[in-house]
Amino acid sequence: MNHNHSESKGFEDKEISDWKVKLIGAWLFTIPLAIFMYSEKLGLFMIDEKIMTLVLLIAAFPVIFIFGFGTIKSGIKGFTSFYFNMDSLIALGTIIAYLTGILSFFIAIQDYSGISSMIMAFFITGKFIETKARGRASQEIRKLLELGAKKARVLRNNKEIEIDITELKVGDVFIVRPGEKIPTDGIIIKGESSIDESMVTGESIPADKKPKDNVIGATINQDGILYVKTTKIGSDTFLSHIIELIEDAQNTKVPIQKLADKITSIFVPSILVLTALTFAGWLFFSQDISKSFGIAVAVLVIACPCALGLATPTALMVGSGIGARKGILIRKGEAIQTMKEIKIIVFDKTGTITKGKPELKKIYSKNEKHFLELLASMEKNSEHPISKAIIEKVVLKKYLVVKNFKIIRGKGLEGEINKKKIIIGHTGLMKEKNIKFNEFKNKIKEFQEQGLTTAMLAENKKVIGIFGVADELKEDSIKAINYLNKSGYKTIMITGDNEVTANVVAKKVGITQVIAHVLPEDKANKIKELQKYGMVCFVGDGINDAPALKQANVGIAMGSGSDIAIESGDIVLANGSLRGVVASINLSKATFSKIKQNLFWAFAYNVIMIPLAVAGVIHPVLAEIAMAASSITVVTNANLLRNKKI
Amino acid sequence: MKKIKLTIEGMHCASCASNIERALGKIKGIKSVSVSVMTKKAIIEAEDSVNIEEIKKAVSNIGYKIINIQ
Repeated sequence: MNHNHSESKGFEDKEISDWKVKLIGAWLFTIPLAIFMYSEKLGLFMIDEKIMTLVLLIAAFPVIFIFGFGTIKSGIKGFTSFYFNMDSLIALGTIIAYLTGILSFFIAIQDYSGISSMIMAFFITGKFIETKARGRASQEIRKLLELGAKKARVLRNNKEIEIDITELKVGDVFIVRPGEKIPTDGIIIKGESSIDESMVTGESIPADKKPKDNVIGATINQDGILYVKTTKIGSDTFLSHIIELIEDAQNTKVPIQKLADKITSIFVPSILVLTALTFAGWLFFSQDISKSFGIAVAVLVIACPCALGLATPTALMVGSGIGARKGILIRKGEAIQTMKEIKIIVFDKTGTITKGKPELKKIYSKNEKHFLELLASMEKNSEHPISKAIIEKVVLKKYLVVKNFKIIRGKGLEGEINKKKIIIGHTGLMKEKNIKFNEFKNKIKEFQEQGLTTAMLAENKKVIGIFGVADELKEDSIKAINYLNKSGYKTIMITGDNEVTANVVAKKVGITQVIAHVLPEDKANKIKELQKYGMVCFVGDGINDAPALKQANVGIAMGSGSDIAIESGDIVLANGSLRGVVASINLSKATFSKIKQNLFWAFAYNVIMIPLAVAGVIHPVLAEIAMAASSITVVTNANLLRNKKI
Repeated sequence: MKKIKLTIEGMHCASCASNIERALGKIKGIKSVSVSVMTKKAIIEAEDSVNIEEIKKAVSNIGYKIINIQ
């Protein structure tokens, strides 16, 4: 796929340079032609009209039929296949104008062949500028495309050799020195360093990495020498996924563009009909065939479906690019529009507001040694973050054998040790299993009031100890939620934790409403209930919360570094900070207002200019200039989105 | 169902993109098409029975060229 990316970039450059060649060629003939034509009109010299026409026909020929060949060909294809496009209008307009020159030898009619050359030259100029501006609109994606490393230094038979990135295989160990770019995704096997990941995740603070940590290709190693084992190459890498995500997003539609799309699709045939009617009307009422031709040509070339069709895609492209630079990946264009209707923002607690790396803070038991032995032996079998927090702190010399181990999803664990049934879980699970914990009630409350997620361990239906884990807030959570509250959003926290613990965290971070005790699979239902009160944005991690992300009107999936679940969420945040939520909202609003501006422009242009052309008050060359200017304006306006502070 | 991604050459305006969407949409078995004038890519969701040659023909009939298929 890397191959494809570079290819698509290549032909964009080629398109620009093609237009440039046409542009130079067209003006090379058109400028002398125009000078010649207008000096004669101004009376600077006199020449026989027939010779004048002949000169103009000869000079305009290469402009229309050589430099304008592509446009003429594609335009005629529109007529033969009945799939009309923009070129159909220009082709018809210039050919009619050119033919008046030939006709003028036989009947008394004004010669527009010089005009035809000028129309084509301006059209090509407009296309050149527009194509360049469109290239600028996608500059951020181009930068991402160019980000990938070209070479990697690998260990082969204990020797360092430099190889082409395409020769790198999964499992290869590569070496990265300070200041160098990490060639591809991998896992550190030796060395420590801090790594600047800003170019990929938008996170400006370098990440400290040690062995067993993942590194992302195209990021910059800052201090230490790293030995990294390749885990992903080519189209599987994080960078490739990001690029693909942004590119695919361009194929999604922003609902507001529906009307514009509909108009674009019937635009050209409608203009053709309108031109015919205009021509017939003028001919009938004015009896002036020359004037009627001129007006018909003006109507053909002034109509601009491009401005309408480009209004949304260019703004979306620029918005996506700005987002990408900040680690905000817009997956669905629709989210941009929906975002401004959002009233409620629901945050998942663990991993979203908090770091998602719980630590064992407190334990309580009458027989601590026995309790910890059972606890650690059980938790050793689970991958849950809480289990990891426990086995990190409680290290045993010898772990007890656990039989019939089972994870009770969202609730706890069960198993058998020394033929005794062990259950670990929160109060809810204990109640479910009819296990009494009266003597621990006060202690549990004490733990919870300190914001600890508290659970207990029962041996043969008797609770023998409790433990509390805490998950720290992410640095930016308070600030971001504060900002959202102030901006008038209703912020809500949703969690599987109990109310007491959840409330402590919510209070710390500034959230007043908590929905606690929610099993992972019920989150989506809770979102559905909230949607009765307004549009809901859900912010959560993309792995466990996928259904809730889908249910919400806008789903924002949080990731950190390479662990992002790209397949879920309308917007994906490449770095785990809640700042990204604020930025996503601002970016969506700014992009959407740009889209609206552009659509307004494009509609207004056509609504005003087409009638003026029909009325016969616009010269065909001016009509063409106005047309070119309108699509350039739309693309340039989209590019101005970059000046917005997000 | 399969997902096909095409890179198309020769599109230089928005009406081109909508033409390609329309032409491909007419092929039997194609569930959805979207063409981006910005990336020059078409993303197609189609039944497995849809033949890639048919898609190629539809695109070239209206004057564009497929330069990459995924």
